Amino acid sequence: MNTFLPTPTADTKFFWEATQNKELKFQKCRNCGHVRWPASIACPECHSFDFEYVISKGIGKIYSFVVYNVAFHEAFKQNLPYVVAIIELEEGPHILSNVITNNPAELRCEMPVKIIWESYENYNIPKFKPFEN
Amino acid sequence: MKYTHLKKLRDKYAIVGVGYTPQGKVPGRSALSFYVEAGINAIKDAGLKKEDIDGLICYRQFPAISNEPEATPYLVAQLLGIEPTVLSQESYCPRHHFVQAVSLLEAGFCNYVLIIYADNALSGRRMFIEEATHPEPKNDNYMYGEFGFVGDYALAARRAMFEFETGPNTWKEIAVSQRKWANLNPNATMYNKPLTYEDYLNSEYLIEPFRKLDASLISDGGRACIVTSVERAKDLKNPVVSIMGIGEANPSIDIHQATYITGPTGAKKASQMAFEMADITLNDIDACEIYDCFTYTVEITMQDYGFFKPGEGKDFFKDGFTAPGGKLPVNTSGGLLSEAYFMGLTPITEAVMQLMGRAEKRQLGVAIGNKKPEIILCSDNGGVLQTHATIILRRL
Repeated sequence: MNTFLPTPTADTKFFWEATQNKELKFQKCRNCGHVRWPASIACPECHSFDFEYVISKGIGKIYSFVVYNVAFHEAFKQNLPYVVAIIELEEGPHILSNVITNNPAELRCEMPVKIIWESYENYNIPKFKPFEN
Repeated sequence: MKYTHLKKLRDKYAIVGVGYTPQGKVPGRSALSFYVEAGINAIKDAGLKKEDIDGLICYRQFPAISNEPEATPYLVAQLLGIEPTVLSQESYCPRHHFVQAVSLLEAGFCNYVLIIYADNALSGRRMFIEEATHPEPKNDNYMYGEFGFVGDYALAARRAMFEFETGPNTWKEIAVSQRKWANLNPNATMYNKPLTYEDYLNSEYLIEPFRKLDASLISDGGRACIVTSVERAKDLKNPVVSIMGIGEANPSIDIHQATYITGPTGAKKASQMAFEMADITLNDIDACEIYDCFTYTVEITMQDYGFFKPGEGKDFFKDGFTAPGGKLPVNTSGGLLSEAYFMGLTPITEAVMQLMGRAEKRQLGVAIGNKKPEIILCSDNGGVLQTHATIILRRL
């Protein structure tokens, strides 16, 4: 599916390196406990520069989602319709991803999802699928 | 009442000229040519000389198409033959131009500020995807097949459908009412193209929950206006349209992390500032020109402004309440959905034309069954609800 691969920056290198081991890694503020995304040098809540890394359990819920019925890029034509979603992880961060389903009509906001990894070239890409508790 | 100190600016500055260009699909033209034409026409419309312009502010600059030069403010100033004291252009979407213009005038750095937006997006086939809403690293969004504005605003709209009662039944009212306005405006791209509820509901989803009819047009053309003091405006040829209130707010957080996308958005804070400065209430508003990149943007903006409670938009917009002849006209040119896309200048210049009494067949007043407007509420919004400006204009 993926024509576009991750584009690690100096700030997101740790995140994409962790995905090599199928780990979803975030920075957690040592001062206030806020788990942040996007990655940043400092905590946007308390401005502390002190942080530790945490590995997300990869469980969350759909905050919002849309169904693409049109491919804005040729590479996505074969995938139509596909679902782009904002996932609210249990640890707090909201991340953009895809929800993999054969039936987009079943999806709802707040629906539980869990991570699945899709491998492309040297990367593992975090995606999600509906998950019954 | 945190903004009462702004009352000193009430009715102190005015918009004195509007510049139009051919618009819609206008092939064979560079973006720059529309900047120049809109700018010259605004100067002429105000009855000014080019030498009077000492501030030039351009809206967001999209990357130039093919081998065209970028429409930088340097180049626009050069081709207008002006040498402004202040030049400015946004690189993303903060809708700062009118606050900036008023500030420059109030401080005394400028006397006449020209504000322009132009593009050849339709003929140049700009998809508004390469230049997505996000600073680096935008390619990580592409990886998931998320290509910018339509998908991002649809994410906000979907969450709103979950949090309160909204959806296509609300948005169809907005799309249909605005199309009725466009059918009174021969300059509108959708003039002579009536739209029914059935047309709306029968059209296919683009990015569900949005159909193409929920999205603004892509346009060739340009729009410009000039801001100066009310004192100077009184000596110029057009009726005086003053800035009665103005406010701005920038919640800034990217749509993919934001939780304000279902309200209150920046519209709430910006409008509080503008209304406190103007010292009026919603009851004093005769019409609205609301930035409508998508139908949902009109709903959430007017909801945050306090016209109705969350989820009550469905009843507010029905029975043509905002259409020609309705009690509260909204987007009387057809707006970005049905007239043409010139960012915040589509709504703001339309308000100016209505207040000057120059809106021809769509002119609010006895002929259309609406009150002749004295006060019009305008909004400008950018990014994905990340930035908002409210401007209350008044015929003095």
